[in-house]
Amino acid sequence: MKPILDVSELSTYFYTESGVVEALDGVSFDVRPGEPVGVVGESGCGKTVTGKSILRILDKNGSIVAGKIFYKGINLVDLPDLQMRKIRGKEISMIFQDPMTSLNPIFKVEDQMIEVIALHRKCKKDEAKQIAIDSLELVGIPEAEKRIIDYPHQFSGGMRQRILIARALALRPSLLIADEPTTALDVTIQAQVLEIIKEMQQRLGLAMMLITHNLGVVAEITKRVHIFYGGRVVESGATEDIFLDPKHPYTRALFDSIPSLEKDKTRLETIPGTVPRLINPPKGCRFHPRCKYATEVCSRVRPPEISFGKERRVACHHFEELDLHVDEELFVKQATVKEEV
Amino acid sequence: MKMVTTYEEYEAVDLFADWDAKTQPIINLINLRKWFPVSQQSVLFSRVVAQIKAVDGVKLFLNKGETLGLVGESGCGKSTTARVISKLEEPTEGSVYFKGIDVFQPMTREEELSIKRQLQMVFQDPYSSLNPRRMVLDLIKEPFDIHYPDMAYEEKESRVLEILAKVGLEDYHALRYPHEFSGGQRQRIGIARALAIHPEVILLDEPVSALDVSVQAQILNLLHDLQLDFNLTFMFIAHDLSVIKHVSDRVAVMYLGKIMEMTPTGDLFRKTAHPYSVSLLSAIPRPDPRIKMDRIILEGDVPSPINPPSGCPFHPRCYKAQEICNQKTPMLEEIEPDHYVSCHFPEI
Repeated sequence: MKPILDVSELSTYFYTESGVVEALDGVSFDVRPGEPVGVVGESGCGKTVTGKSILRILDKNGSIVAGKIFYKGINLVDLPDLQMRKIRGKEISMIFQDPMTSLNPIFKVEDQMIEVIALHRKCKKDEAKQIAIDSLELVGIPEAEKRIIDYPHQFSGGMRQRILIARALALRPSLLIADEPTTALDVTIQAQVLEIIKEMQQRLGLAMMLITHNLGVVAEITKRVHIFYGGRVVESGATEDIFLDPKHPYTRALFDSIPSLEKDKTRLETIPGTVPRLINPPKGCRFHPRCKYATEVCSRVRPPEISFGKERRVACHHFEELDLHVDEELFVKQATVKEEV
Repeated sequence: MKMVTTYEEYEAVDLFADWDAKTQPIINLINLRKWFPVSQQSVLFSRVVAQIKAVDGVKLFLNKGETLGLVGESGCGKSTTARVISKLEEPTEGSVYFKGIDVFQPMTREEELSIKRQLQMVFQDPYSSLNPRRMVLDLIKEPFDIHYPDMAYEEKESRVLEILAKVGLEDYHALRYPHEFSGGQRQRIGIARALAIHPEVILLDEPVSALDVSVQAQILNLLHDLQLDFNLTFMFIAHDLSVIKHVSDRVAVMYLGKIMEMTPTGDLFRKTAHPYSVSLLSAIPRPDPRIKMDRIILEGDVPSPINPPSGCPFHPRCYKAQEICNQKTPMLEEIEPDHYVSCHFPEI
């Protein structure tokens, strides 16, 4: 299937007082129609910048310096501002991480939703309001008709995130970019919101780019996943393949460093050091200073992205020599846990 | 208790002589309540219109050498509990026993210090819990200034360097300021401060929730090593059950200011008894694409602690709730050895 979003060799830099931050450095990935895709990485790896670059809502000191973003065959990078406006919110919507700060506290929910709808559809206020109410009902806000005139502070965190989802989906976009939609929520509320996102994605046939650091959320919702590290994509592939058979040392290390409900271990595998700062990033492979398999070539040459197997891609000099397969013992254990559950 | 007047005399008196580590818990909370008044300001006077029942009748104990995980959603009173234990807040009702001594009974400054010397706390946010104007050396030296004012400066300094090495920082870090460190390193400084005077118990309030996963793993390993090295007792507060499972020997699940279930970690996952614990466990997204779970999704939000539901606080969201749950508050009872549950209809 032809991808709905095709990002190729995207580089986004930020110009700051202390130097140029190479937030994205040649990032390529795609999202297909109706497909939930995960973008995974730690803070500062460029996940959010990718989302913002696609919608061209970067902060003033940031700009796309190279690359192309094709959405339904149109290159968004050199689209005039006026046409870009017609895409934001109608074709591509974004949900942000913090539901507490993404709604304006001094306007009613009604006003904030109608604003978006009226901007794209030439319709009366009443019609726009009806669309807003329908959308709120869709995401499970009880008594939407009454509550739409409330202010954001009258809603709980989970409800606010629902309002943001409702606003993002009001105009039935084809692509939804969800930036850490459940990170600020408690687990039981997170479960509610995830259920809604999953249901909406399936019911509306949305293509979705789910940006998150939570591997549990990724495993649950996405079909394919792109792993980011230091402003580059290090590995892509089907979610199941990547979780069971990671090829990049970073992906494996990331999986090992999360405490899991299934594993019984007293020590976690750690990745030494910290996430690199992207004003003067490491030469060659950006993971090499923290990688236990790194050799001389890793510190000199940027590893090419090599495609293999079923839609897998990995950027590592040594991936063919390494066996990073998740061990079988854990498989068995997890399988039994599955039965118990 | 004998009155002590001077520092030297104090050192000679053992406050905790009656305490027996084998049979008694090191920390024991009995029916602890902490209510915060909500007041309304009128022209001249303010009057109390409601109470936020942050901690509402908590029974909890901590044995020497173990790690107790305290887990719950935001606003359930986990942090307030820790703050009351470390005497940062006064309880509204109930008592906190540390090594058999009621920490809120009237006591001399020396006695108070001798409790605090053994009971330290690490805070959640490594960005706001360190004074940005002070060097790391001064930050870690502060506990020595308070507890050992007579100690020579050189001695303090060498102890600071020793403790820095223990938490995985270098000597030269001592002369830097907090803003020069990453989140993980700052949390190491926070741990070093708590550890400096060799306490027996450390209360860890969400020590890893502000950190990235790769850094989180480093801190969890560090805490594990320090616990073995110094024979520490931890109370580990977190909202992430996989972290709790990883670190704890026993787990206490908290909801709206009350303990719902307290049990050895393995039992919480194998023999989950409280419906709230069951829902909490099923709500966690598992990092394995093959596990497809039938999830129990709780309706609604956590009720406000200003006006908590009558009876069992969980009953409006509970899938097993009956009439009695609305009327009678269940007590925390030992349904099996070392497995405490407060529910009228436990799952086992």
